[in-house]
Parts: sequence; C-alpha cells; structure tokens
Amino acid sequence: MSGKSFFIDLSRCTACRGCQVACKQWKQKPAEKTANTGSHQNPPDLSAATLKLVRFKETAVGGDFKWLFFPDQCRHCLDSPCKLASDPVIQDAIVQDPDTGAVVFTEKTKGLDINLVRPVCPYDIPRVDPVTKIMYKCDMCLDRVRSGMLPACVKTCPTGAMNFGDRQDVLAMAAKRLGALAPRYPQAALIDARDVRAVYLTLYPVRQYHAFVQAAEAAPGNFSRRSALALLGGNAPRTRT
Amino acid sequence: MTIERRQFLKLSAATAAAAFSGLGFDLKPAFAKAELAKLTRTRQTTSVCCYCSVGCGLIVNTAEGGNGRAVNVEGDPDHPINEGSLCPKGASIWQLTENDKRLTSVMYRAPYSDKWEEKPWDWALDRIARKVKDTRDATFEVKNAKDQVVNRVAGMASVGSAAMDNEECWIYQSMLRAMGLTYIEHQARI
Repeated sequence: MSGKSFFIDLSRCTACRGCQVACKQWKQKPAEKTANTGSHQNPPDLSAATLKLVRFKETAVGGDFKWLFFPDQCRHCLDSPCKLASDPVIQDAIVQDPDTGAVVFTEKTKGLDINLVRPVCPYDIPRVDPVTKIMYKCDMCLDRVRSGMLPACVKTCPTGAMNFGDRQDVLAMAAKRLGALAPRYPQAALIDARDVRAVYLTLYPVRQYHAFVQAAEAAPGNFSRRSALALLGGNAPRTRT
Repeated sequence: MTIERRQFLKLSAATAAAAFSGLGFDLKPAFAKAELAKLTRTRQTTSVCCYCSVGCGLIVNTAEGGNGRAVNVEGDPDHPINEGSLCPKGASIWQLTENDKRLTSVMYRAPYSDKWEEKPWDWALDRIARKVKDTRDATFEVKNAKDQVVNRVAGMASVGSAAMDNEECWIYQSMLRAMGLTYIEHQARI
C-alpha cells in the first residue's frame, strides 16, 4: 500500500494562510470569533471548525531573529495512534481509506472520549465539537482526492509549499528538495517521513516551530503509542529491518 | 541530511500487517459516500478575482438545478497568472456572492443622518451623475495661477478598481480624462 501523501515545504511557506482559508471554504466551516492575541495566528488553535491552521512563531535561531510559519494539519499516520486507541472502544469510529491511506473521523467519534483520542496523537490534532461531540480533523479532502482533485489546501497554495500526490513521488520530491536545501540549511530535515503522509521539511530545529511538529517517543500525556498498540492486542513492537 | 527515523516507525512496521491484512474489514462502504457530491450537477464558468491587480483566474461552479447559485469557487489551473493557486482572499471569494451579509441593494445615508435607507439603483445612478456634474462644473479650472491653460478638475479624485479589465480601464480612464480629472489612482497602489 503506497497511497497518497503531502509534502509541506516550510522553506516556501510565506504564511499567507491561503491553505487555511481554502480548507474552511471547501469544508464550509464557520468563522470563529476570536480576540487579538498579538499574533497573526488566528484562530489561536485548531478546532472542530478549523482543521488547518498556520502557526506563527517569533523565535531566535543561533542568535538571529526568525519568524517561523507552520501550516499545521493531521499527518495521516500510516499507522494511526488515534485509530489504534479508539478501535477497541468503537470499531471504525476512525477509519483509514485503503486506497489513499487517509485517516478519517466518522460521526461515530461522538461516542469517543476526546481525552482518549487527543493525547495519543503525537501531533495534537484531534478536536471535538463541543455541541455535537463529533470529532474533527483534516480528512485529506478525501472527496476531492477520490475524484482526482487535489486537496483544497494544496490546490490553492501560491508558493509551492503544499504538495500532494502518490506517496513514492512525494517522498522523492521531498528528498530532492532536502538535498537542494541541505548545503545552506544544515539543520534541514524531513519530519517523520516514513511514518506519516504529511511530511514537513523544516529548516531549523523542530521545537522552534511548534511543540508538536515531530513525534516524540511517547505521545503527549501518559498514553503512549506502545500502550495504544497493547489495547489492540498486538504483539510487542518489532524493529523494522 | 537524513530522513528522520523515530521510534514511531518501529511501531509502524509491527502493526502494518495487522492493520491492512489481519483485521481485514472491508472499509469500502464507509468511503462510498466520500465521492464528490458537492460539484456534481454543476456548471463551470471562468472568472477573474476582483480583489487585487494580480488578476488570478477562477473557476466558478454553479448549480445546474435549483437556485443556480455558486456552490464553489477556486483557482483555474489553466490560467496563466495563477495556475490554479489563490491567496487567502481569493480562496474565500465564494463568500463574496454567497453571503447573507452581502448588500444587494443601494444603501444611502443622507448628509448628517444617522441611519441608512434603501434606495433604487436608478435613483443612485442619477444622484451620482448629478454630483459628478455639479462638482466638475464648480471646480473646473481653465487656467492656473500662472495663466497657463490647464483644463483640470481638482475637486474630484478616482480610486480605480482592480476588478476592471483592460478594456474597462480604457473606457473609464477616457471618461475621467474627458472630465478633466488629474487625481487618478488605483487601489492596488495604496
């Protein structure tokens, strides 16, 4: 199974937020009333109505001021902790499309506890609608992709930061771009490329962008991927050869 | 220059087999409804984004049946300017037409009034024409202080529109110059 993948080239992102708006527009998600937080990051966080969010971070890298942008979204893990953790509770509340590999929250997620699902996500993506209790996140624009269209965020991106296609092609594109940038940006890296379908190219250490750019060995909170797998009744994890 | 390899992927390998063979639930039905319902039975027309002077091409999907309103607008991949992409303003342009806050009639606030009133289009166009004529006649200068012929109007300015195409701009500019306007600007430069 190779499926589809995103390549998100942060060296090309200008934080125009076209992706964020195009996502909202295609999904017909409502605006959120927010207050000025002193940042262009608005809304301040992902929510059931905001599935794609450009995060802004003012930081210092090697003594130089950097304004870093991180268009955050679900990574569509090849092996999703959210699905692994929730299947024993409600089978297929979270499903994975066998053709594209998209991980999709269904309406059955309203029977799940967000405090189970959100902490197992290494990227802190799942959000719940406070009224309907249904959980939401990026679904890879599965309706578009299955009709041969690009996801809305990729389609609109004016700079080429957002890319999408067959996984092998996308990974090759990512490796090529990393090779081009590596001489100038020695800290450049492709994040969790073998595990996820939204592969980010970072120029600086991941913590400079956002707390949940890269999967840590244990998920945030006390629910690790290891225990998620144990719930599934799987064997002890083996090392890939 | 290495692809990051984390503990996470070790777990991936262990469960990949379970997720895609051992637990072989047929997920096809769950995705049957994920087909593209939104754009079926729609008609595609091209347009140009009205927000700035870049002039990005749009594809507008309008419903073939029902009320015939726009159901989606996005970038035109065949357009040479934007090749399908759109900035956040362009990406939201569907809301320009499908919006319950959109004004669809003339709203007029009289001088010193504190409220808006709805007026007919003909009334508004007549009033604009009247004001333009009066202002033009009142502020037209044939000669300047040095007695040089200038034939200009200093009492009006035009802040033109990025929504106009080349031909409209030509007609508009001709009209302004004929009236004697010298303050002719464009919103994209402000």
